[in-house]
Amino acid sequence: MTRLGLTGGEAIAYAFKQIGVDVFSMYPITPQTPIIESFSRFVANGEVDTEVIRTESEHSALSATIGACASGARSVTATSSQGLLYMFEMLSVASGLRLPIVMPVANRAISAPINIHCDHSDSMSALDQGWMQVYCETAQEAYEMTIFSQKLSEKCYLPIMVCIDGFFTSHNLIPVNVFEDKKVKDFVGEFKPAYNLLDTDKPITVGALALPDTYFEIRKEMFDAFLEVKSNYLSVAKDFKKSFGKEINFYEDYFSSNSETVLIVLSSTAQNAKNVVDKLRSQKKDVGLLRPILYRPFLYEEYIKPLSKAKNIIVLERSEGPGSFSPIYKDIVLTIFNHGNAKEKPNIYNHVFGLGGREISEKEIEEILISVLNKKPIKKRYIGIKE
Amino acid sequence: MNTKELAKRIDEKNTMVSGHRTCAGCPIAIICRTVTSASDIPVVCSSATSCAEVTTTIYPQTSWNIPWIHSVFANSAATISGIETAYKAQKKKGKIKKDINFLVIAGDGGSFDIGLQALSGALERGHDFVFLCYDNEGYMNCLSKDSLIYTKEGLKKITEIKVGEMVYAFDQKTQKLVLKKCSGVFNNGIKKVYEIETLHHNIKATGNHPFLVVKKNGRGKENELVWKTIEELKKGEQIITLKRLKGEKPFTFEKIKLSKKGDYKVNCINEIKLPKESTTELMLLLGLYVGDGWIREKGEIGFALPEGTVGRDKCISAFKNIFGVKKITTDKYYVSLNSINIVKFIESLGFNKGAKNKIIPSWIYTLPDIQKEAFIEGLLLSDGYIYKKKKDSCRFVSASKELVQRLRLLLQTLNYRVGKITVQKKEKGTMVVYRPLLKDAEYYSICFSKKDDWNIDKYPFQYKYQNFLIGNQNFDTEIIKSITEVGKEQTFDLRVEGEHNFIADGFVVHNTGNQRSSATPKGASTTTTPSGSSSFGKMEFSKDLAKIAMAHNVPYVAQANTHNLIDLYNKAQKAFAKKGPAVIVVFAACPTNMKAPSEQTIAISKLATESNFWPLYEYEDGKLTINYKPEKRIAIEEFLKTQTKFKEVLKPKNKEILKSIQEEIDKRFNDLLKLEKL
Repeated sequence: MTRLGLTGGEAIAYAFKQIGVDVFSMYPITPQTPIIESFSRFVANGEVDTEVIRTESEHSALSATIGACASGARSVTATSSQGLLYMFEMLSVASGLRLPIVMPVANRAISAPINIHCDHSDSMSALDQGWMQVYCETAQEAYEMTIFSQKLSEKCYLPIMVCIDGFFTSHNLIPVNVFEDKKVKDFVGEFKPAYNLLDTDKPITVGALALPDTYFEIRKEMFDAFLEVKSNYLSVAKDFKKSFGKEINFYEDYFSSNSETVLIVLSSTAQNAKNVVDKLRSQKKDVGLLRPILYRPFLYEEYIKPLSKAKNIIVLERSEGPGSFSPIYKDIVLTIFNHGNAKEKPNIYNHVFGLGGREISEKEIEEILISVLNKKPIKKRYIGIKE
Repeated sequence: MNTKELAKRIDEKNTMVSGHRTCAGCPIAIICRTVTSASDIPVVCSSATSCAEVTTTIYPQTSWNIPWIHSVFANSAATISGIETAYKAQKKKGKIKKDINFLVIAGDGGSFDIGLQALSGALERGHDFVFLCYDNEGYMNCLSKDSLIYTKEGLKKITEIKVGEMVYAFDQKTQKLVLKKCSGVFNNGIKKVYEIETLHHNIKATGNHPFLVVKKNGRGKENELVWKTIEELKKGEQIITLKRLKGEKPFTFEKIKLSKKGDYKVNCINEIKLPKESTTELMLLLGLYVGDGWIREKGEIGFALPEGTVGRDKCISAFKNIFGVKKITTDKYYVSLNSINIVKFIESLGFNKGAKNKIIPSWIYTLPDIQKEAFIEGLLLSDGYIYKKKKDSCRFVSASKELVQRLRLLLQTLNYRVGKITVQKKEKGTMVVYRPLLKDAEYYSICFSKKDDWNIDKYPFQYKYQNFLIGNQNFDTEIIKSITEVGKEQTFDLRVEGEHNFIADGFVVHNTGNQRSSATPKGASTTTTPSGSSSFGKMEFSKDLAKIAMAHNVPYVAQANTHNLIDLYNKAQKAFAKKGPAVIVVFAACPTNMKAPSEQTIAISKLATESNFWPLYEYEDGKLTINYKPEKRIAIEEFLKTQTKFKEVLKPKNKEILKSIQEEIDKRFNDLLKLEKL
């Protein structure tokens, strides 16, 4: 294994290089730019033989990726925030056409007002578009999840978003252990498309008009594919362990299964939260952290175990549902309501933090946990907001 | 190559097969088959959302014998960029060996408007593909021109309806009769029409026109109302019709200018007074007039009402009471009087003159029931008779078919039971109104009687199952007796706000969908730029897509037309052979959008080129060549008048606009000539 100093963006580009994608459509948007800039350097230096399409917009970028993937080529693109929203109509086309597209998303706040910093509102707005979603904590995990997702997506024939925190992960340089080129190539293997427009001996029509008598069943096939993701994930994780010796799970369970008070948070914030958990546990306080990795599909039954002892669950999210609640909170409530066995249902709290890239300190995370432990949970919904 | 050889080649290539759903007269199929056949090597096609896409790929069927993908409206050029790049990537790695051509098929929207960005990007990046834009100038269901529509002002012909008028509609939530604004009137050209016949109503409409019918959901389940086109309807289905239209108040007459003594040629005048609004007595008199009366310009008013008839007595007393007439002449057969002002008054009411031309004007449909019935009584006293033995069933006969049709509809607004219109031929010489007929004539008649309302209190649910709208004040269901094809007719349609339906010939019918694109030429009338009294239609000149493509410095751009397929084929061959992007823009005369007869497609296409509206030219490696220069270019009116959507701009008051259009066309052609010389 080689150790390189890579930012999150560079690590993802490195992964794509090792996979050897056939086509990369790109349109720049902060903070995804390190991904496409690094990759462009690899192409310019002859380190990878990928055809790059510099489209005139994100909508065209995903459109071209869809066209390429439907033509037998392993194709990817990357985006953030407004770029994701601009290509929004193409998301359901990709999943509807069952194309295994891997798309890194450097999570960034959505307009208005305009803001380029870390926020999960962009990928959270696309939860129902038929894309799988994984959230990475560090550049290391981003590197591994990109390689993992390529194989997973091609196994499920569903597109996938690999989400990293904008700036906090995408632009932060850390040591990353990268695998051997050959091992990565062997792991992902050859792309086996379900159909190929370039097979001119067997012409096909893709994207037909389905009237009310046919549409429903076609869409259901895509929904059913989501029910197969769990077994495919486990199978690919097994191959991953065999090839690279590393475990890939649905979530990270940091003392969560043993604790009565569990904090749930995504991505890089979990690093700081784990420091707080360590500190409190050394004070003999019963706290733990649960960090979801695979968020779509959300495997409700799998979340019973890590929350089996929980009496208090705090869901801390970097996105809001105006007029409703944050998305992970809703999924946790569903988990407890539908699948929980405890006679007494735990208290579930929802807080929103860090919108527009505002940082959250370990002190603030500690305050939340202490307040719950003291049975006087913080009432305010928005952590870190100026009163 | 001649056209026979071209046709053979297209058949052999068989890139796009029949069974698609394009309209009669649509040139899309011709254009696509010609262009896709021009490639010797396999073609992979990306299509924008468009007529070409929707009509050819209704799952699970497809017309395409070549690999074909549809993504979304805006991105056909971006999609082909991805496909072409995937091909390059795999060819480089040795995974693909064969040569493939790439083609985009898009309508003017998917090229000019929403598709322009992706097209521009693809041209700039220099992908190796052909972009075919078929320009039908706008984004694209009708009733016969004889259809009679229920409006606030009464019954009117569909051709008389104006934008902004209030028409009656069916509120689908409350199932009540409501008034809605008409936001568009469309002349859709000559089309094949069918006739639906029920016991009491009939209407002519095109096969795709939707009507409101009952959908039975089975025992114990609630029935519902759904829209079905004529093509989907079957004999025996229950269709929604209007059964009652209650008038609110008497009609107030417009003041007319009276003649007085001393006016030109008026030496003496009978003093009379004119009524301000309708009364039962007046309506009876007018009924008598329609059936048996006539007026002459000199002021003569006459009625064929013989001595001893009830009609004569009523007529005389009405003239005395209402108008204050003092002198009335009578003989054995006729009643007559003289009054220029009464003649003027009767003329202003809209009954028309002459036995064959008399109609029931629209305002009569707005009267209260009692006045309508008085009018009908007057009609019966003149030209009708009552069958006493058949439960007070009446019969009315007239030489005017339209009068009988309108009477039928009038009776239906009173919830009368009315039969079919029957035709009777009378030979020359037969005595009619005491005079022999000068030639063979046709007479039309209907039978009608009063209907009792259902006693819904007795078996409410049973009745509701049999008749879905039982208890409804204004609407009823009738069983469709027959649906027959009756040939081609001039057709129209309305657009109604809110409910999107209106009442034509007593049926509840749906309105139409026709919008503007940036390719729509100046002066065109579409639903989003309708022509009307203050606007003649689309105000801006259309974008010149070929020039936009040339501005990207691509290797090949061509403009072609459907009337010259050899030219189109040659251009497509060149386009495929060129390395890099090529753009072909083809004029597609869409019969629906152009509101022209469907068999005129090729003729109209030719006029477009002959008038320099759509010149044929090529731009190859920086050099422009005009392929066809008409010896004498025809005036733009010749092209515009083939399509009724340009009707407003051809009116005399819009002379200046027409001039500016001709000037722009001449200017653009001159610019092309200058470019050619460079």
